[in-house]
Amino acid sequence: MSQVVATRTGTRKGAGPRPYKSRVGSLKSLLPLLPFLAFVGYFLVFPLVFIVRDAFLGNDGKFTLDNFVECFKGVYGHSFYVSIRLSMISALIGAVAGSLIAGAIVKTGSRTRKAIAATASVLANTGGVPLAFMFMAAFGTEGLVTKSLKALGWNLYAGSFTMFSATGIILVYCFFQIPLMVLIYSPALENVKPELREANDSLGGTRFSYFTRIAVPLLFPAFLSTSLLLFANSFSAYATARAMTAGTLPLMPLLIGNLVDGNVVANQEHLGHAMAVSMIGVSIIVMGIYLAVLRFSKVRS
Amino acid sequence: MILATTALAAMPANAAVNASTAPNMSAFGGMAKLIKAAQKEGTLNLIATPRDWADYGDAMDIMTNVFGIKIVSDNPDGSSAQEIEAIKTTKNMAKMPDVVDIGLPFVSTAAGLFANYKVRNWIDIPKAWKDPNGNWYGAYTGTMALCYDASVTPAPTSIASLDNLAYKNMFAIQGDPTAAQQALISVFAVAVAKGGSVKNIQPGIDFFHKLKSKGIFVPVVANATSFASGSFKINLGWDYNASGFIAQAASIGKTVKCIYPSDANVAGTPYVLAINKTAPHPAAARLWEELMFSEVNGKLASEFTAADKALPLDKQFAMAMGGQNTYVMGGATPITNVQMIRKGTKTTPAKAVSVPSKLPKSVLPTLAQQATATDLLKTAWPKI
Repeated sequence: MSQVVATRTGTRKGAGPRPYKSRVGSLKSLLPLLPFLAFVGYFLVFPLVFIVRDAFLGNDGKFTLDNFVECFKGVYGHSFYVSIRLSMISALIGAVAGSLIAGAIVKTGSRTRKAIAATASVLANTGGVPLAFMFMAAFGTEGLVTKSLKALGWNLYAGSFTMFSATGIILVYCFFQIPLMVLIYSPALENVKPELREANDSLGGTRFSYFTRIAVPLLFPAFLSTSLLLFANSFSAYATARAMTAGTLPLMPLLIGNLVDGNVVANQEHLGHAMAVSMIGVSIIVMGIYLAVLRFSKVRS
Repeated sequence: MILATTALAAMPANAAVNASTAPNMSAFGGMAKLIKAAQKEGTLNLIATPRDWADYGDAMDIMTNVFGIKIVSDNPDGSSAQEIEAIKTTKNMAKMPDVVDIGLPFVSTAAGLFANYKVRNWIDIPKAWKDPNGNWYGAYTGTMALCYDASVTPAPTSIASLDNLAYKNMFAIQGDPTAAQQALISVFAVAVAKGGSVKNIQPGIDFFHKLKSKGIFVPVVANATSFASGSFKINLGWDYNASGFIAQAASIGKTVKCIYPSDANVAGTPYVLAINKTAPHPAAARLWEELMFSEVNGKLASEFTAADKALPLDKQFAMAMGGQNTYVMGGATPITNVQMIRKGTKTTPAKAVSVPSKLPKSVLPTLAQQATATDLLKTAWPKI
């Protein structure tokens, strides 16, 4: 969920760049950033270099491509499909539901909006084992919600309902995906001023032309970028899924966890690192699609 | 360093011992001197050693309250892989682990990381479970036990009896069998109960599949937290974690009972203790190993009187409950089990896990069999 922060600071910085005349000046301006750069260097760049290097080494320490061949085979190859599919579904649900809620919120007063934004930012950052536990405590066989519904005559568990499945994971992920969408998408919606609608009307435009010519082109990049953020968010989630599937769902982060950690599989870290590099690859491809779509939509408008 | 080692050969009983290379207790000049050297270091760094795992807490208390050595316990719930990684990445740091407790498969990943040291009871450790040079050795093993919430009716008695819709949404194991040894041996136990063997776990996989499709097996990681949330009521796990689990359940007002299933008696390969070659507290590390392999059926830290504590250090060691017996108290099978029974030094604590009238012959999947099973489970488990 660190991406959220990065995106927000990114837009803020982009909003008001101060012009610098000389190169020395711009170097000086980097000075306050040093702690941040050191942090990123140590916790992101350094491990990244290590993982990429390790992904190309065998247990004997020699260069090999075997790790990458292996990681597209069998359960490892299948995990790409499972992970990408689950992330796409949860991103889609989050994006559609979140944008509808954001649309409803924009029309409310500023105080309500602030309260909802604050709540959403808390929910969007809830994850890991506590999140899994919350859902077990609510919807588990002994959960509060389950028991209340039972008292009302509806036994959740009468059929084949279980939280511990792909569907269950998607349901739980929605808990942070939807608020995240609301949080990031609302500012974009606020930019669509009522004046645009009035202009459309006074120039003889229809409701349809307002949507196709104004609203959609204006909002599409924001919608797409947030959806991709949701995708990445669910693609990399680990602890919640681990607590709720015990390995019965082959998700990439879980398999990597088993390879580099654990008490059973030894001497397989290199395969784990190759899987991690592949995950980075998937993220880069997704980013590439995003940039391409963004460029295309700019050219059109 | 070189001076000290040469001196060691000449006068082993004297103070100038290099604890980092001491191969056994006599190199220190006796138990009292080993304890003195450990006390001088003052601290023992442990990693991935929870107090409620195989009753490590009682052994830790003897170390601290009897011998006065502070224990710094890092990452108690960590995995074997993390322990090895910690030795590799914390080189030359004061917080580096002194001793590790790892799964047997991980010995192969730790070449050159451990010190050779033979404890006094070295001879009592079965040959199959020790390195001939004392680089590592097994300390204890567990057997699969079935624990259940006492409110469950009918009370399960065997693994096969779990195939009952009365247990819908109730049965869980300790995680992913390709990641947790406890879960892997659970699959072996189910296989053995359902007509398979340590060589053929397919019947086990099939049974899990059946229980999952009936909604009986819940793929949640069985632990105190998920138990408290009501996510499972029956689970398979090590017998030596049963008493800890029963106590944790009692703290939230639940009664848990544990039995050995009547249709499977499956043990795991032992967990291994080894001393870090570059341990920051080499004497304390060696004292810990001596304590954990001591077969004394003696006093717990809380039972030591002021008079006891005034006795010479080696006398105190000789009367303290040995680690092999604290493992027994935790419900584990100590590695020196056979010798302890022969010598009559095995303690007989109240049993946390009840034994059925008839128990099948005990089987133990070898490392090779575990590796084969893990390979099969990598593809089969996600499909159950």
